[in-house]
Amino acid sequence: MKKILVLMLATLLTATVALAQTTLTVGVFEPHKTHVDAVLPQFLANHPGVTVEVRQLSFGDHHDLLVTNLATGSGAADVVVLEIGFIARFVAEGGLRDLSEPPFNADQYADQFVGYAWRQGRTADGRQIAMPTDIAPGTMYYRRDHLEATGWDIEDVVASMDSYLEWGRELKERGVFLVANASTVADGLVRANIPAGDGIYFNAAGEPQLNSERFLTAARVAKAIRDEGLDAEIGAWSNEWFEAFRQGTTATEMSGVWLLGHFRNWMAPDTSGLWGASRFPGDLLVSWGGSYWAIPNQTPADKLDLAWDFIRFLTTTPEVQLDAYRNIDAFPAMPVTYDDPMFAEPLEFLAGQQARLMWATVAEQIPGVAVFPGDVIAGEIWSSALSEILNEGRDIHAALEEAQSLIVRRIRR
Amino acid sequence: MATRVVTDTRPWRSPRAGRNPVGTFLLYLVLCALALLTLFPFYWMFVLATHSQSAIFSAPPPLWFGSNLEHNMEALRAQLPFLRNIWNSIYIALMATVTTMFFCSLGGFAFAMYDFRFKKQLFAFVITSLLIPPLLGIIPYYLIIQFLGWLDQPRALWFPGMASAFGIFLMRQYVASSMPRDLLDAARIDGASEFRIYWSVALPIIRPGLATLGMLTFIGSWNNFLGPLIVISSREKYPIPLALRTLQGQIQTEWGATLLGTALAVLPLLIIFVLASRQVIEGLVAGSVKG
Amino acid sequence: MAQSASAAASPRLPWSTRLDKLQRRVAPYLFISPFFILFAIFGLFPIVFSMYLSLQVWNPIQGLGTMRYVGLENYVWLMDDPWFWRSITNTLWIAFASGLPQHLVAIPLAFALSRGIRRFRHPLTAAYFLPFITSAVAIAIVFQTIFGTQFGILNQALMYLANAPWSAWLFGGLADGLPVNWLGRAPNIKPAISILVWWQFFGFNVVLYAAGLATIPRDYYEAAEIDGASVAQSFFHITLPLLRPMIFFAVTLTIIGNLQLFDQPFILTGGTGGTGQAGMTVAMYLYRTAFEWLEMGTAAAISWLLFLLIGTLTLTHFYFFGRSGLETRG
Repeated sequence: MKKILVLMLATLLTATVALAQTTLTVGVFEPHKTHVDAVLPQFLANHPGVTVEVRQLSFGDHHDLLVTNLATGSGAADVVVLEIGFIARFVAEGGLRDLSEPPFNADQYADQFVGYAWRQGRTADGRQIAMPTDIAPGTMYYRRDHLEATGWDIEDVVASMDSYLEWGRELKERGVFLVANASTVADGLVRANIPAGDGIYFNAAGEPQLNSERFLTAARVAKAIRDEGLDAEIGAWSNEWFEAFRQGTTATEMSGVWLLGHFRNWMAPDTSGLWGASRFPGDLLVSWGGSYWAIPNQTPADKLDLAWDFIRFLTTTPEVQLDAYRNIDAFPAMPVTYDDPMFAEPLEFLAGQQARLMWATVAEQIPGVAVFPGDVIAGEIWSSALSEILNEGRDIHAALEEAQSLIVRRIRR
Repeated sequence: MATRVVTDTRPWRSPRAGRNPVGTFLLYLVLCALALLTLFPFYWMFVLATHSQSAIFSAPPPLWFGSNLEHNMEALRAQLPFLRNIWNSIYIALMATVTTMFFCSLGGFAFAMYDFRFKKQLFAFVITSLLIPPLLGIIPYYLIIQFLGWLDQPRALWFPGMASAFGIFLMRQYVASSMPRDLLDAARIDGASEFRIYWSVALPIIRPGLATLGMLTFIGSWNNFLGPLIVISSREKYPIPLALRTLQGQIQTEWGATLLGTALAVLPLLIIFVLASRQVIEGLVAGSVKG
Repeated sequence: MAQSASAAASPRLPWSTRLDKLQRRVAPYLFISPFFILFAIFGLFPIVFSMYLSLQVWNPIQGLGTMRYVGLENYVWLMDDPWFWRSITNTLWIAFASGLPQHLVAIPLAFALSRGIRRFRHPLTAAYFLPFITSAVAIAIVFQTIFGTQFGILNQALMYLANAPWSAWLFGGLADGLPVNWLGRAPNIKPAISILVWWQFFGFNVVLYAAGLATIPRDYYEAAEIDGASVAQSFFHITLPLLRPMIFFAVTLTIIGNLQLFDQPFILTGGTGGTGQAGMTVAMYLYRTAFEWLEMGTAAAISWLLFLLIGTLTLTHFYFFGRSGLETRG
């Protein structure tokens, strides 16, 4: 009899304790888990009685799953992080909460962030559906050893696209490729110097731009690179791609600054010290990615405050932003952090270059990239057209005209 | 078809064939070479599952087993609750198999042993439903599962297919050809209810057919990919094909661990097949020929 | 029925007997009802709803209430959609390129197995059949490594054959095209997928044909032999004609199955359909339209157009081969 009483008491206690505990579920893709895990103790210290459960999926799966969850109205985590390219999917109403509304009132933080980063989380009709946490200023990584061997100065290389290609020709004579894939250069060019209010693929009025000058130029440059044999025609993120970095068969790579983290941690750690970072050739300002935190519509009302606290903790606390940079190479979206001594640190992987300062300057100058619902499919149509131009030798005008008509048709629905 | 076709179906070899040993030898050579080529990807899967990433991506590639099995296993477990995933696949497949065996044999028994109104039309309906491409209903399937609140539940995968048209078709053929109607009448005279007749008289007789249906159902459920892709969303509930896809989808795919996963995914079926290949093949044959 | 006559003629039967008669009459309907109930819910209703859905425009994230009726607009739109037509040509290409060899190889193989050899019949058949029962996902992942450009074993084997002294005379011509970028270049994706699909299904057809061959009575062959027919002649004049029902059946299965290919191209292209959508089948296009681009109405329309395609091809097939195909099987 006594045993039963004790058991009942224990169960009752556990139940009450469980009830008292609130659990916040957080949906992330790699590498955000590393960062969240690292800063979690700080958050929990200020929120007793709270447990946080972090669910991690691969990049693609995380976003695909979120689509399903939002469509069915159930299953999403209370708080989710999103890559900017995918925010477009959720711009349509019904998925993510508008954070500028009470009880969040996010607009008060608007000017604490780099201008374009804030705007990217905002829909055309004024809903702030996500808070920026990291941004990705575009940069070019280059191999110092190849630069020295050819006797060029990096400033001369990146003076313009023409000089960039010129250097590539000299590299070719030495058996080194300028870049792994010409399409990467094209992707960088279409993301460069976008007028404020415009998106990558759409202008401020929502009209597709796939046959505009920016895209034509990008395609032309990439085609020139491909035709002259300056690129290695390797698919990004393939094993050959990793090998190219490890062995230094390619001299440059363009991407968001986050690539450094991958290089350093697992892709080509042994090449530390052989690389440098520079601005984009032609001094173009490129934005190449960025992560945002959001609260799905389906998050229950009693967890909204906690969810919002969590987001603010991660996005508006300078120390945490700096931690993110340290932990996972996530470039902070808050300019106030750029004054931190961390930014003046010489980066070992880049042979002691104080690249962060350079990137900070770029970040503050990027005019702006708005998000549109058609971004995801426009991206695919663009890649498809580009690969036809580069790999199958299709005429640039024809390919881009077709791409334009494709996207026009698609978004009319 | 009520009567069995009596044919001498022993494979026929011409007496002349023995007179051409070179030709026969060459034939054996070609057939065996083809068999080896067919089996090679399986061998390759198991070999690569025991190697490290750098060994897998080397020229020339390793042709024999390596020593990285444990490490790959750890990497696999680190990415997914893989043993849990295997269990999920087993559970779903078992539920599908048991329910399908029951409902399809019941239905096939009815079509084979009874004459009732509309029987011809109803059976024709069953057959026609086989021609409907599954893709037609894939989106409503998702919506129905969502409506029932069964999203992310194993039953979304085994419940809808419980009484499959193919199974009923197979069972009907089998019952019709193995069970004489007199048995039915004899049992009725003894006072057995219809269900009793099915359960105690028919089932034991059609056991081989049941076994075939069971195996085919198990295999089909185990390999189902599109269904789980659409309705299962949490990792702990993933069956194997989804788990494998997750492994493949990582930016830095750990190929050793991934291939170990595929090897483990294929192993149970391989074992079943090696033990019961005759059964599976003959059962399939019986169903298609008699139909 | 005799029962009603006897019931009218004889006094009222005891309650237990009437119950017994009832359960005997009702039993068959009861036994087949699970199928029809399940079919109504998971078979019939989805079809009807899918037809209804194809006439709407609907983004599921926005909730059920936002469905908008648009009549046949989805269908018209698809008729003009380059990507839809590309997926159709892809699907047909792969279906044909993997389907035809499946049968061309399976028939002689089955013939060789049943007539040509005495031993190892079952182990060989089992070996050929094994790919059929394995998960398409697992297989596709392995083939992804096999098709790898630099390190895939296929390319390495081909390079070896093109350069090794003993085989260069035969394979040397390939050297210029190696290593083949199977999965990264648009023209190569479809052949790669077709090879995989062929490998997975030819054994299944071998089994079917072996079963079909077994129904051919020996006397025919014996009679032909007595008449002096060669192996080839008896193959073409006895085997093939009598095998027609089985060929018909097997080809029907291939048509219906290959036109709905999803797993293999999905995994081999990593879910994207490959560069230039060269590897995107109709099934993949359907999936992406519904679950990645969130256009459920269009996706439903795609499934109906696919059904139309399958139906047309099957009917054509029935028309040309159906009469003899269905005859002999009664």
